[in-house]
Amino acid sequence: MLAEALAGLVFLPLLVACALLVMPRRTRLPLVLLGILPLPLLMFPVTTAVLADGLQIIAVAGFERPLGIEWRVDALSLVLKWLNAVIAVLVGLYALADYHPGSGKGRRFWILWLLLISALNALFLSSDLFNLFVTLELMTLAAIGLLVIDGKPAALRAGMRYLILALLGSMLYLMGVALIYAAAGTLDLYQAGGLLADDALPIVALMLMTVGLLIKSAIFPLHAWLPAAHGNAPGPVSAVLSAVVVKASIYMIWRLWLWFAGDWSMDWALTVLGLLGAGAILYGSILACLQDRLKMMVAYSTVAQLGYLMLLFPLFGVLGFAGASYHLLAHGLAKAAMFIAAANILKGLGTDRMDRLDGTDRKLPIDTFTFAIAGISILGLPPSGGFVAKWLLLQQAWGQAGWGWVAVLLIGGLLAAIYLFRPLSRLCARPLAAPEQALKSPGKAFSLLGLLLALLALGMGFAPAPVMDLLLGGPPPGMAP
Amino acid sequence: MSLIIDLVLAAGLVVLAWQTLISRDLFRGLVMFVVFGLTLAMSWARLGSADLAMAEAAIGTGVTGAMLMLAYWRLRRNVPAAAEEREPGRPLLAATVGVLSALVVAAIGLASLEVLGPGGMAGHALYEALPETGVGNPITGVLIIFRNLDTLLEVAVLLAAFVGARAAIGEDSAALPLPPAQDAPLVGALVSVLVPLGLLVALYLFKAGSQDPGGAFQAGAMLAALAVVLTLAGRVRQTPQTGLWTGFALIVGTVVFTVIGVGMMALGAPLLAIPGMWAVYLIEAAMMISIGITLALLFAGSAGLGLRGRR
Repeated sequence: MLAEALAGLVFLPLLVACALLVMPRRTRLPLVLLGILPLPLLMFPVTTAVLADGLQIIAVAGFERPLGIEWRVDALSLVLKWLNAVIAVLVGLYALADYHPGSGKGRRFWILWLLLISALNALFLSSDLFNLFVTLELMTLAAIGLLVIDGKPAALRAGMRYLILALLGSMLYLMGVALIYAAAGTLDLYQAGGLLADDALPIVALMLMTVGLLIKSAIFPLHAWLPAAHGNAPGPVSAVLSAVVVKASIYMIWRLWLWFAGDWSMDWALTVLGLLGAGAILYGSILACLQDRLKMMVAYSTVAQLGYLMLLFPLFGVLGFAGASYHLLAHGLAKAAMFIAAANILKGLGTDRMDRLDGTDRKLPIDTFTFAIAGISILGLPPSGGFVAKWLLLQQAWGQAGWGWVAVLLIGGLLAAIYLFRPLSRLCARPLAAPEQALKSPGKAFSLLGLLLALLALGMGFAPAPVMDLLLGGPPPGMAP
Repeated sequence: MSLIIDLVLAAGLVVLAWQTLISRDLFRGLVMFVVFGLTLAMSWARLGSADLAMAEAAIGTGVTGAMLMLAYWRLRRNVPAAAEEREPGRPLLAATVGVLSALVVAAIGLASLEVLGPGGMAGHALYEALPETGVGNPITGVLIIFRNLDTLLEVAVLLAAFVGARAAIGEDSAALPLPPAQDAPLVGALVSVLVPLGLLVALYLFKAGSQDPGGAFQAGAMLAALAVVLTLAGRVRQTPQTGLWTGFALIVGTVVFTVIGVGMMALGAPLLAIPGMWAVYLIEAAMMISIGITLALLFAGSAGLGLRGRR
């Protein structure tokens, strides 16, 4: 049952993407629904298997490592696959507003969307360094196609920049993989990690892979491509890019440093990675405060929030791991909701310039509400998923007397309050700026999808227990409980 | 003697790479890149990797080179002056990139001194398991049987590339411009010789792939090369829509591979288990078609290709 469910998660979207290319117009909408709606259902057998027996291993094609490729599902994979499934469905349904699969553009959108979902599902399963590379490539290419789907010049420019930097990142990662294979004779991440020690070659390989992945994850100071790409993409694409796509390469960095190289003594490098995260939090937050367009502000907020995921390296401990993983999930949901709200505001007002947002709450109440609720989680106010995550990180930092990290966490929260309060004060607390301008409401059902995502992020603060038990039960090796 | 050949190849690679990078004339840089690719293919052949040599020559140099040349033609058509000579460039940026690249290469080189010969576990496991499969070419064994998930996703990457390129072009029926077909008397003769010969080579590469160097990727690239020749000679034309047959050709590789691989689960086999040599040939044939048509459409920059004159 587990193997069938995992196969469905990867190959159902893939086959539907193929079918969209040849099936007649009328059948495409049902096909698209067939491609995304079963994904959360398919997650249930996987979840029960992991909850019952812990780590699950499947040898693809029946060949075990080192000859074949293995799929592994543990707590972290499970959390990310759930995020992917929820975003695929909710943001996907939202995308139906603009991209009906019956049209030519809509068909292209859905083929790329389904390929992206399939690639992410395969990525979060794979325990093979080269297979991870292939899934990452498929993910990146599909994401760039989605980014430029409307043909806007700004998006095309951002897409080209993203493509070039992503390819540079891929190349560095691939060079590292080649070195690992030369040294260990296996491409399996866990097996190679067990065979190699912190000698010169594996360290060089790890550095190459890490830098490549840092570029793809847009971690400060390699973030230059992200704001333009996420800020100019169509609404649903910004949502999936910020919620899941950038997380995929950070997930791989975690796997490399905490699993593959978990027993190497490289504390200085962990500190450097944490400092990059701190830099991202401060720099991204300050720039988010300075933006004059709503979507660009949300995009810079992503740069900042990704920084928290890098704090896991210095804040090494079960609480830190649970907090960072929880942040991954909560930020994914909240940021997707926020991008949907921003896209609806942009669509409704015809602009997302900050000085034109005054009084939008009268006309777009649901979207304004969504933005505020998502903001609570991003900001880390109780009760929300973001609060639980940041509280755990703070506890970890406090526990190991890392006062510098405590300061970064607190200042990051303060700056987030500033950059979120700016648009909120205009959206809610001011009279309608230009009553004569016609507001186009994007449709209530599509606004409610964003609200649902925001409420999920909020709800994670009320009932963290199931996810938290899972995470606390499956930390990286060598992490003291 | 062989040492001299190796040294010439190695020195040639460095010189050609340098020439590719520094040439002020964009066209000259492209030509240097193609020559560099061919030299690289010869180097792979010298190292005993016939499959890699063919893939490099066919895809890395052949099809890519043709695409670059066509892109150059399109660029010059749009901005005649800009393409003639490169921008003066940013020496500081170039120097930084150069120094960083040199550091990376030096680190890799120094670290590689630790590796003592091929001790690959995976390699040994491969040679032990290969005889049972009936496949003689270890590379085909890895691509289709042992690590077929990689290959399947790579074919999906091609689909993403095609749809992504269409997305970047924007309009449904838009196609990128092609140079006017040459009607020189020799073109017809060339096409009538090259096309059947190329078809034969492609089929041979496909058939040989299971036992000897070759396989779906090289054969598919060969088919794409034929499409390039036919397109440039004006024998096929761009069509505004992806026709049903073209659509099927684009997806047949992914679909056949997935259906066989997942379908085997119904019979109790593991996911993506390959049931026999018939399946290897079927998958390779389907992939060859998809690879060929995708590369051809990426080159032509249109949604579909049709025979000249027919509507």
